[in-house]
Amino acid sequence: MLETRSLSKSFGPIQVTRNVSLKLEKGERRVILGPNGAGKTTLFNQLVGELRPDSGTIHLDGADVTALRVADRARRGLSRSYQKNTLFDGLTIAENLGLAAAVALGKGQGLWSDPLQSAEVRETVRDVAAQVDLAPHLDARVDAVSYGIRRQLEVGIALATRPKVILMDEPTSGVGPEMSKGFHRLLKALPRDLTILIIEHDMDLAFDVADTITVLNYGEVVFDGLPEAARGSSLLKDIYLGAWEDA
Amino acid sequence: MFTHTPLRLATLALLAAAALTYAAVAGFFGLEILAEIAILAILVIALDLVAGFGGMVSLCHGALLGVGAYAFTVAANDAGLTALPAMILAIALSTALAFVIGAVCARSTGIYFIMATLAFGQMAYSFVFQSPLYGGDDGLSGAPRPDLSALGIDLTDSRAFALYALLLVALAYAVAAATLRSGLGRSLVGLHHNEKRLRALGLTVWRAKATAFAISGALAGLAGCLAAQHTQYVSPGLLSWTVSGEALVVVILGGLGTLVGPILGAVLFVILKHEISALTPYWHAIVGLILIAVVMSRANGVFGFLETRLAARKPQPQVKEAKADA
Repeated sequence: MLETRSLSKSFGPIQVTRNVSLKLEKGERRVILGPNGAGKTTLFNQLVGELRPDSGTIHLDGADVTALRVADRARRGLSRSYQKNTLFDGLTIAENLGLAAAVALGKGQGLWSDPLQSAEVRETVRDVAAQVDLAPHLDARVDAVSYGIRRQLEVGIALATRPKVILMDEPTSGVGPEMSKGFHRLLKALPRDLTILIIEHDMDLAFDVADTITVLNYGEVVFDGLPEAARGSSLLKDIYLGAWEDA
Repeated sequence: MFTHTPLRLATLALLAAAALTYAAVAGFFGLEILAEIAILAILVIALDLVAGFGGMVSLCHGALLGVGAYAFTVAANDAGLTALPAMILAIALSTALAFVIGAVCARSTGIYFIMATLAFGQMAYSFVFQSPLYGGDDGLSGAPRPDLSALGIDLTDSRAFALYALLLVALAYAVAAATLRSGLGRSLVGLHHNEKRLRALGLTVWRAKATAFAISGALAGLAGCLAAQHTQYVSPGLLSWTVSGEALVVVILGGLGTLVGPILGAVLFVILKHEISALTPYWHAIVGLILIAVVMSRANGVFGFLETRLAARKPQPQVKEAKADA
């Protein structure tokens, strides 16, 4: 469903992505681990088209999308949430979700009707709000709700496009342990045919939801395998997991 | 998102009633002022559409108005078109020019967007100013008023012309409001709030911006046609950046991003201009002081102030706290 082949990217002398090759099957849930500065978000930015790789290719659903722009990749079913909330502040939660659904349905430039009133968009808003537990807050303005709700909306907007592949950049970043558990349930309840790639520092969540784990270090894939194998890897303990296991 | 709140509807109804009553009783000078207000109102509706709702602050709307005025005059005088086809042609030209400007400037934001539009506006101004084909700095005279004699309406009559101008304001408002309630309008507001996210959701940002700018340009072109018909004379001054700046002042004075507010701003601005200029030639300084007071009050113009005061009287809805387990 999503594949990268020898993806590399440098900022001046600093190489942030080194020959990264990944292959996600349809419905696979993969967690990307790695210490700060490992190149995880930079990899996401290349996958969605916000950054151009220096070399290598990206394939979505069998098609080479390396040269496509962000919006074109989104229209092919690639969606993302951001590590820092990237919402439509000043609008309500329903309007945020509705706008995302409208654009994804190709109604974002129509002139003759209000997409927010269309049955299709309203149904999507209702469904996604239920998925990410935002139904009680639909009429609240985004700048008037708590950080946790904003985090849920961040993922909700990405889901409202009905994507084939969703990239989530630290969805539990900054939320408490209880809310983090809520995200576990949310992720597990998503449709099984949805391909999910998650950057996550929460190890419990990573091992709980992941079918496979990829570990990046200095922009390079140093581990790619099953969660059980990741737990036992001494290499991972050295570069990343040691602190977690010792804790 | 744009909605017709009760206050907005009530303000619209009051403005319409006041304008129609005034049109019925005013003398020649009053009717001329009413037509002047109508022309400015259409221009500021056009500007508020992109600046207030889309965050695209333009300094070329004067030029778009001027292109509409000149195109109408040339089409009617030189090509021999009657007023209606000449208006359609002029509006089409303003629309096309605005689309190009919107498409080229779409990648820039903030001060860079303002400067890019200013450059386009000044290019149009210079072209008209220096071109002997369009009368140079003398301008062109003889722009006709539409012939509605078949309907028993004589637009050479000031009262009939003022009512016709008010009808065009209503049309411009309807177009702007319909645009804001469309998918494009919803995206335009989204672009103002978060362009990056909308792009990531799949919106072709440049096309949305250019289309919104084109619709705004069409309305500015309509204002230009009306301006040409009003004075039956066009001059390069219509394309000057000061016209754009004045329109921006009116939008801010009335209430950016409210659509109704700028119309109120146009009424206040024209009345202030005429009343204060009768007392002192330094009327710009007085209007400047009023604008500074409005900006410093942190209210969103006169209409924004009314909205804020009214909202403060209403009990605020309780926002539920996040559930602990998400």
